[in-house]
Amino acid sequence: MNSKYKPNIIAFLCNWCSYTGADLAGTARMKIPSSIKTIRVMCSGRIDALFVLKAFLKGADGVMMMGCHPGDCHYQKGNYNTRRRYVLLDNLFKTLGLEKKRIGLWWVSASEANRYAKVTNEYTEEIKKLGPNPTSEEIFL
Amino acid sequence: MSHQKKEETIIPEKGTVLSAEKGTKRVILDILKKALAENLFDAVLIPAQVPETEAYSWILLQDESLFEWADPLPPVMTVQGGRALSSFSKNGELEQNIAALLRPCEIRAAIELFKLKQVNLKNITLISLDCPGAMPLSNYMSDPQKTKKDFQHILEKWENSESLRPVCQVCQHFSFIDGTAADLHIGLLGDKNKNITLIPSSPKGKKLLDQLEFGTKDSVEKWKTEKQQLANEKIKRIDAFNREWKKKINQANGFFNEFNPCINCHNCMNVCPMCYCQQCYFDSQAINFKPEAYMQKAEQKGALRFPLNTMLFHIGRMSHMVLSCVSCGACEDACPVSIPVSQLFSMVSDQTQKEFKYTPGMNREDALPLQDFTEQEFCEVEVPDECHEKAPEEAK
Repeated sequence: MNSKYKPNIIAFLCNWCSYTGADLAGTARMKIPSSIKTIRVMCSGRIDALFVLKAFLKGADGVMMMGCHPGDCHYQKGNYNTRRRYVLLDNLFKTLGLEKKRIGLWWVSASEANRYAKVTNEYTEEIKKLGPNPTSEEIFL
Repeated sequence: MSHQKKEETIIPEKGTVLSAEKGTKRVILDILKKALAENLFDAVLIPAQVPETEAYSWILLQDESLFEWADPLPPVMTVQGGRALSSFSKNGELEQNIAALLRPCEIRAAIELFKLKQVNLKNITLISLDCPGAMPLSNYMSDPQKTKKDFQHILEKWENSESLRPVCQVCQHFSFIDGTAADLHIGLLGDKNKNITLIPSSPKGKKLLDQLEFGTKDSVEKWKTEKQQLANEKIKRIDAFNREWKKKINQANGFFNEFNPCINCHNCMNVCPMCYCQQCYFDSQAINFKPEAYMQKAEQKGALRFPLNTMLFHIGRMSHMVLSCVSCGACEDACPVSIPVSQLFSMVSDQTQKEFKYTPGMNREDALPLQDFTEQEFCEVEVPDECHEKAPEEAK
């Protein structure tokens, strides 16, 4: 694998926890890999399965879904819905024989800047090992 | 599931057994006619053959004399009954009483639509019947007479036939819906077409039988035994069916290859009872961009396929409706390029519904999987796995 290979990772962050956590990581000058492209959503419950699938089929090497820890959702139960939706996506990927490691669900709270830096770095390394998403080269999609 | 009813509805022991000497269809129509004449219903939603043509459609029948058009068991499923029911009942409550005679998969679609507030079931009595399956629509359109004859043969023998639609051949819910979906079930099995058995599946259905003076005195044992036999045969087939499709899909690009002939007509979506959105993302302007965007994309990949989003459409649609998919097969009938859409969706829905321990359209009370949750579930998918971290704390 080319050591210069930089994955393209789309991260959906919920406004109240994960995005604030990412913001704090930035303020604290923690090192966040440049492979992460963040998209802020008001709640992780807003992440429609279609968002994830679109990112994946348009060639994103990894898609991260991030939200508040269970029980901490600003809207009480949005992240529980996210979790079920992720289970559905995970199952679809498994059944359709797609690379399920390319999508993932993480809980990151507003104060967990350390954790945000850790999971983004770890996931980037994991995706680096996997290599580019085959759909980025696939024409007939 | 938090508020799911745990206890299974048990098939009632007693119902009404009627002689079907006059012919099964005749007897069913006579029952409905009688109910209409006695003002138990104001209208009946039933499949009908358009006079002097081979076309089948749905009619909301109010005039008894028009029953000659009605056909409770058409050889094909033209429009999914759940969709037909939704088309007139989604915009409010009905004052009149309506009976709807639907195949089990159509009832289950209606129940899913009811949960999605696309069907209002107040004052609607759902009547299901043993379904032998349906013939592929394209076969019927190219040779109606032969297909009708074949179907008649299947209806008499109640045996599996390769000429049925593939999803019908492995259908697990072809008979009595074990739950609170239907009100009354019409069993055609039992003594192989010599009798029909009326089985009430709700208090409403039982009341209807009493009002029709049929009562519930007869044993339904014969029907039950034959139904079980057929169910066992079908269970054997579904495993092989799922395994085969799984193998096909898990080859490199397996899923994409199946859908590559797609011409983006969106027929599968338009006929699907579960695709009820008034504006679909894939028909919207949200996916249209300036020409430069496409040029850029084409440059990146070397070429770009048009129309866009073929695979995204199918996987996206799948992600939206697969947990409610009742494997009715309407999508496959509607596909002009013969993609085995419903077989694939059926296999995927089988896998995903199992994960959520959900069977669509069985109980009116069951919440849709994506509208329901418990706090301590699916912890293994999240990072960190909090249920197990928190568990000892809560024990204190």
